[in-house]
Amino acid sequence: MTDPYVVEFTVEGEDFLAAGEASNNIKETLKMLGVPSSICRRAAVITYEAEMNLVIHARGGTLRAEITHERIELTARDEGPGIADVNLAMREGYSTAPDHVRELGFGAGMGLPNIKRNADTLHINSVVGKGTELRAVIHFDGEDSSGGGKRRAML
Amino acid sequence: MTIGEILFHLGADVANIGDGEREVTRGIVGDLLSHVMGTAPENALWITIHGHLNVAAVAVLREIPCVILAGGRTPSPEFLERCCTEGIAVGLVKDAAFDVCGKLWEIGLRG
Repeated sequence: MTDPYVVEFTVEGEDFLAAGEASNNIKETLKMLGVPSSICRRAAVITYEAEMNLVIHARGGTLRAEITHERIELTARDEGPGIADVNLAMREGYSTAPDHVRELGFGAGMGLPNIKRNADTLHINSVVGKGTELRAVIHFDGEDSSGGGKRRAML
Repeated sequence: MTIGEILFHLGADVANIGDGEREVTRGIVGDLLSHVMGTAPENALWITIHGHLNVAAVAVLREIPCVILAGGRTPSPEFLERCCTEGIAVGLVKDAAFDVCGKLWEIGLRG
């Protein structure tokens, strides 16, 4: 059995100039591995929103992608303040982002809902004062919106 | 219609032509980055009043080939540099985003 292909990036908190770089690196990795473009787009939404949460809320963290023939597992980990009410945070429009971040176009309360819409499964473990782990999985055997049917990454 | 033709139609100040020969038939307008990230149609141009680096990051990830900066807003140097590096066309217009949408609708672009 082929080992999973793994890439992991450190994301700095409050670094809005570098924001999106980790997501872009993961997207380029997926394209290099031959992952279908429709799945690359879904993964890009997930990683970008997760990365921005690390930048805005968590004082940074790590973003990791593990790719196998069957699925992509995307994990964001941080040691930030944690999410007091995950169900509330999942609600579209709810955000705790500060004003200076909203002025840039962030903080619309759409990040986690965007992640949920683009993931086949989503798990969030968060402890206030300890940090958060977000794990989203996309399976290659799901519906492919580009019309290509079932796909496998070329690992 | 090509990006070059669209920018000419808008009377835009072309800060970067990008892939000016590329055909674009759809567009999205908005200043909430997650909204654009989550809903931009494939191969759509983006009308916004934000001209900072994070707009370029979203455009790169969503493979948006052209950003129209409306309302006479001034782009940041970092935004322009990234758009140039990534081949993203940038048009600067004084028109409000609403008026830009109207002009693009007239020439056949849809959301």
